[in-house]
Amino acid sequence: MDYRRKPELQQRLAAEYVLGTLRGLARARFHRWLLQDAALARVVEEWSARLGPMAQAVPGRRPPARVWRAIEQRLGAMRTGRAGLWHSLAFWRALALGASGVTAALLAAVTVFAPPAPPPAPAPVVLRAPSNEVPASYLAVLSDPKTQKPMLIVSAGRSSDQLWVKVLDPSIHVPQKVLELWAVMPKGQPPKSLGMLGKEQKTMLPLHDVADHSLADVPMLAVSLEPMGGSPTGKPTGPVMYSGPCVQYW
Amino acid sequence: MHTPDSLATLLAACSQGDRSAFARLYEGTSAQLFGVAVRILRREDWAEEVLQDCYVSIWNHARSYRPGLSAPMTWMTSIVRNRCLDWLRRPSLETIDEDGKLIENAMSDTPDPLAELERRADASAIARCLQALEARQRQAIALAFYDGLSHSELASHMRQPLGTVKTWVRRGLIRLKACLEQGA
Repeated sequence: MDYRRKPELQQRLAAEYVLGTLRGLARARFHRWLLQDAALARVVEEWSARLGPMAQAVPGRRPPARVWRAIEQRLGAMRTGRAGLWHSLAFWRALALGASGVTAALLAAVTVFAPPAPPPAPAPVVLRAPSNEVPASYLAVLSDPKTQKPMLIVSAGRSSDQLWVKVLDPSIHVPQKVLELWAVMPKGQPPKSLGMLGKEQKTMLPLHDVADHSLADVPMLAVSLEPMGGSPTGKPTGPVMYSGPCVQYW
Repeated sequence: MHTPDSLATLLAACSQGDRSAFARLYEGTSAQLFGVAVRILRREDWAEEVLQDCYVSIWNHARSYRPGLSAPMTWMTSIVRNRCLDWLRRPSLETIDEDGKLIENAMSDTPDPLAELERRADASAIARCLQALEARQRQAIALAFYDGLSHSELASHMRQPLGTVKTWVRRGLIRLKACLEQGA
């Protein structure tokens, strides 16, 4: 569908995007167009300006003080950068203690894979591709802590809200269980679920927001073994099977 | 209540890394944005998490705010509403309100924002233009905007076929745009 030559369609999609009735895959697709099409983004801005004032009529409600504390904590974590990793390691260590004997091995694996300082960018010869075509990326290689064998590759374009997971070894799947992918958050915040892996070699998981927002301060990804349907509690309940640092590649 | 100008100044200071400006921005805007998030998500704990994400995002992207394009509050509200809608799109939430009870309960005891809108001088144009719509178009648009209802939720809430509510929304939006442009 070439929306560009159809101003009425553009108007309708932009209006329903702002109103909120554009949902699901259509919303995700429209969001991707927006990142690449300044003219379309302008149409959306105009609709936001039209409908936005409606929000002023919603009665305000003071959020609990813990919200501000959490925000401050997250901004602090960002400033100290990836040092936050060690806080999360302590968290994961505590979590894995009861689950199985992977703890020491997990720590060892993480040490081996300790995030290399992002490689110094090679001197750009001539960068002809516009930035949104640079194939990159947040990248994580998750490995088995016992064998240190890489088992999964997870990647997302910086302005994409899709996370791609490639399983390198199909033997990772366990009957009657699912593998759930987690973003290990800095500063001991609870991990966030990124979704469950399908049985196929490649799985696409939708992110809440483009990777530059949702993965920027995530130091590490991990996969836990969960009952069918995923963790019932919203937090990892099974053993951590694979993990690896999440780095911004480009 | 902050004026748009002072909010724009605070956002500009945030883009320079001024944390105390950010604290004042939060102080001046978080109640309104939390209200919007609670209304759409209908769960305070979710709204708290969304609000956190949004303010981190506002801090990180303060420099991409363009004063000429939209009022600061409009810009921040879009960030919050977008994040709420993405939250509702999570696959694990699809069956959370199968019988629509959560929506019914949440909406029955909350004040009608449209009535409030008419009392606000700064939102008078949109209030007037909403008033000029057919009642059902107005109701569909308000439910979608304030309560985050999807087309299919609108259809079941308003007890109408899906195609009918889609048409109300589409025509209502076209008429709103025409009305606002006429007034401008």
